[in-house]
Amino acid sequence: MGLRDDVAKVLISEDVLQARVAELGQAINATYTDDDRPLLVCVLKGAFMFLADLTRRLGMRHEVDFMEISSYGAATRSSGVVRILLDLEQNIEGRHVLIVEDIIDSGRTLDYITRNLRTRNPASLRVCTLLSKPSRREIDVPLDFVGFEVPDEFVVGYGLDFAEVYRNLPFIGVLKEEVYVNEQ
Amino acid sequence: MNNEQLQMADEVVEEQMTNDVQIPGAIERVLLDEGMIAARVRELAAQISADYADVEDLVLIGVLKGAFVFLADLARRLAVPHHVDFIALSSYNRGAVSIGAVRLIMDTRASVTGRHVLIVEDIVDTGYTLNYLLSTFHARQPASLRACVLLSKPERRQVEVPVDYLGFEIPDVWVVGYGLDYADRFRTLPYIGVLKRKVYEQGSRRGVGEQRSRGDGTAG
Repeated sequence: MGLRDDVAKVLISEDVLQARVAELGQAINATYTDDDRPLLVCVLKGAFMFLADLTRRLGMRHEVDFMEISSYGAATRSSGVVRILLDLEQNIEGRHVLIVEDIIDSGRTLDYITRNLRTRNPASLRVCTLLSKPSRREIDVPLDFVGFEVPDEFVVGYGLDFAEVYRNLPFIGVLKEEVYVNEQ
Repeated sequence: MNNEQLQMADEVVEEQMTNDVQIPGAIERVLLDEGMIAARVRELAAQISADYADVEDLVLIGVLKGAFVFLADLARRLAVPHHVDFIALSSYNRGAVSIGAVRLIMDTRASVTGRHVLIVEDIVDTGYTLNYLLSTFHARQPASLRACVLLSKPERRQVEVPVDYLGFEIPDVWVVGYGLDYADRFRTLPYIGVLKRKVYEQGSRRGVGEQRSRGDGTAG
């Protein structure tokens, strides 16, 4: 397939990925009880595939909700401030909230989202991310559950895209440089 | 759903919790297990991949919240390049029987004009929602427009809607899991189960309403 030909190497195979998602599920199971009824907040689009697999591993009672955000371009890059295109359906006041992200890079967007959600007075606010790129971090954001720390490479698959493509690869791959250099 | 309703559901749930920890007590039986769903999703993906093999610009549009699990599994099995987009819908008549009035909460990020659109839905029930989606997207002049739906309840149909790719026809029972919820509960069960009648009958007396694919009051 053409999509796979654009991948220089598989960084995290499907099996390793699924095993880690199961471990994250166990860690989250150990953190919350049925009475906590945590609300998992998925930031679209990248995290939807991770959310679909993660939530099927959860034993405790929980709910899911979605946010879709859009960048303001350079202003977002410096401040993390994003435009909220779809806000949560649920009021999170007094709720235990777990943000589910695909990747944390500079941390600025996540920092903004957590500040935004904190103003709504949740009972608790935690973050679960599949991937983290610590070398890219510009702002310190606490991450409660991390799937994998990855180097500063162009990763795609399992929800992560390049120009909206490659999201559906069932593994995490590193994109060949010529693909994104030619396109940009 | 208010706290009182949730408590009612909990009481029913607790009755059977001790009998089987795997399946919540509110579930009467498993209708479609993980293996059956995965096998059918693979078949649908193979068929879609063949049908769209020569298509340049395919976009899958997932309908929130219910379709996100199905979409995640379906997209991974597709052998053709595609984009993914989402829309969120609601109903104008929360809590009452739907008459098919649908409100668009969040539109797609990208334009669909001139592109090949495949709507991905968890369930088609009355058909009002899918009918709304098809007419809405048809007006945007896509290159083609089809629907892929995991579950259909033909007995419930109020309006004729074409479903191009269908996972399973099911009887008129309240199903939960694999994206489908009851008042936002049971949505992420890895299988599709039948909710006990007494759970939703208790809820309906308190205005929870009919089976729907979103927690916010839209009939499927």
